[in-house]
Amino acid sequence: MSRIADFTAFILRRPAALVGLILLLLQVLAIVFAPVLATHSPTTADPIASLQPPSSEHWFGTDVSGMDIYSRIIFATRINLLISVTAVAVAFVVGVPIGLLVGYYRNWLSSLTMRVFDFIQSFPVFVLGMALVSVMGQEIWNVAIVLAVLFIPVFARLIRAEVLSLRDRPFISAARCSGATDGTIMFRHILPNALTPSIVQVSISIGMAILLTAGLSFIGAGVRMPVPEWGLMVSVGSQQMILGVWWVSLFPGLAIVLSVLSFALLADAVRDYFDPRRERG
Amino acid sequence: MPLFDLWRRLPRPLRIVLSRLPMIVPQMLGVIFVTFMLVRLLPGDPTLLMLGNMATPESIANLREQLGLNGSLWQQFVHYMGNVVQGDLGISLFTSNPVATDLMERAPATLELIFYSMLLTLVFAVSVAVIAVVRPRGFTDYASRFYGLAAGAIPDFWVGLLLIFFLFSLAGIAPAPFGRIDPLLEAPPAVTGFYTFDSLIAGDFQALASSFGRLLLPVLTLTIVNAGALMKMTKTTFADIWRSDFIRHQRASGLPERVIIRNALRNSLPPIITLVGFLIGFLLGAAVLVETIFSWGGLGQYAVQAVINSDYPALQGFVLVASAFILLVYLVVDILYELADPRIQV
Repeated sequence: MSRIADFTAFILRRPAALVGLILLLLQVLAIVFAPVLATHSPTTADPIASLQPPSSEHWFGTDVSGMDIYSRIIFATRINLLISVTAVAVAFVVGVPIGLLVGYYRNWLSSLTMRVFDFIQSFPVFVLGMALVSVMGQEIWNVAIVLAVLFIPVFARLIRAEVLSLRDRPFISAARCSGATDGTIMFRHILPNALTPSIVQVSISIGMAILLTAGLSFIGAGVRMPVPEWGLMVSVGSQQMILGVWWVSLFPGLAIVLSVLSFALLADAVRDYFDPRRERG
Repeated sequence: MPLFDLWRRLPRPLRIVLSRLPMIVPQMLGVIFVTFMLVRLLPGDPTLLMLGNMATPESIANLREQLGLNGSLWQQFVHYMGNVVQGDLGISLFTSNPVATDLMERAPATLELIFYSMLLTLVFAVSVAVIAVVRPRGFTDYASRFYGLAAGAIPDFWVGLLLIFFLFSLAGIAPAPFGRIDPLLEAPPAVTGFYTFDSLIAGDFQALASSFGRLLLPVLTLTIVNAGALMKMTKTTFADIWRSDFIRHQRASGLPERVIIRNALRNSLPPIITLVGFLIGFLLGAAVLVETIFSWGGLGQYAVQAVINSDYPALQGFVLVASAFILLVYLVVDILYELADPRIQV
């Protein structure tokens, strides 16, 4: 509990981190209270109210099929964060043990695993993601699975690098001498000391996942209408942008920026918090 | 060991190239394997998915033959690899052309876009980083911090749309965001495939102006999104070197500021080279989005059409060519990295 209080106090002293935290809280509010906060149904088309500019009735205007953009942005928070957080959570849960094993046991299997990861990472992320999603079927869960697969090597690599620098330290040798099993050494002694870079990476990856999800939907390789999703909403407005109808694409794009920004700011805060050179007090 | 002696006597650049080159073979094999597996990941029978419910047994058999889906998985892979090596990437279901021909036709458009974006990204990111480090706490320093934070959070497709809105629809400065050249002008005769180079070769300055104009918005889009990462990294590397002893010594010896900056930049080169290679891969993905917005008619737009039309041979071909291209870029980057850092043993 004191750790959380300490971290909160740390954030409160840093304006950038505070902005990130407030933005994150806003998103949590949007997710939990979406039906209350929305003024219209997010998926009901109203052809009469097509392409209305922002007004007191439609705060952010309406899109070409007359759906209320503000309500769709609120509901889209659920979809976008669900996909991104799930993808990163899966990548973390799978990638961390792999990184731990690969760093701890150094044999042909671990070098092979690393070569495979090198290889996955040498593909252009967006191109591979686009191809995989369109082959597997354009479902929300497929987008999440594909993103998870693309992120697993990132976490495995980060953990492995930490494990390699920790495995020959005296406290590990001490644990081994006192009869600790490999499993105990890995999970009780190495893992807690190797997690910090990965925790920072979680926040960064969620931001990247939001951008990738939005990009995939934008080109039609992600979720489909009428699902409220930020990238898809920008795409719906892209045809009208040239005619000067700016509100259809502007607001969902702004939502993406603020969401990604919140995770980037929090990643910076977490990194600084765990930095051993930081002065306490 | 005469062979070893011979190796040692080769010039260093040649040794670097020769030691790197064989690595490309297993990597290319891997790329071919992944693109091969891509279509096998399709749930259900790909021929049924592509032909729909109206398929006759004959057309299914034809397509199976055409896609190389007969025989064991191993036989299929050998068959596919044989085709790829001969430059046969299958027939696009949508354009009915050989995929290799389609891709070759469209590649210059994408390469031209990436070329100018990378150029502008480099110039912009490196100059901002240098100014920010040389004049700390100045305007550029603060602006670059804000930009570095924001650039990573902005979706490229959204930036493209905003630029269209502000520069074309509102201000009317930028030319129309469709295609690579004014439709009333004729494209210059293809020599390099780059419209800007070709129109210069042909001496057609109207086409030159038009193709540069059309490049403006997409290149600006890619640069705004891309330059942030490079700027941040250059700033960190350059700042470290700027504070190092040898720079302090140069300053104490009375070298002019310009020369010191150049020397410091020379030493920050290796990480910049690595990131540039990585960014070219990123640009290829971003080009998919940006080309769609600007109807660019390059590889990216072709890939999006393939996705929308479930044109799997075309998609497969695109992934293969894009990945092979990236591998080549990484190879060149690795070689340049070792050339730029004389401390690396070959």
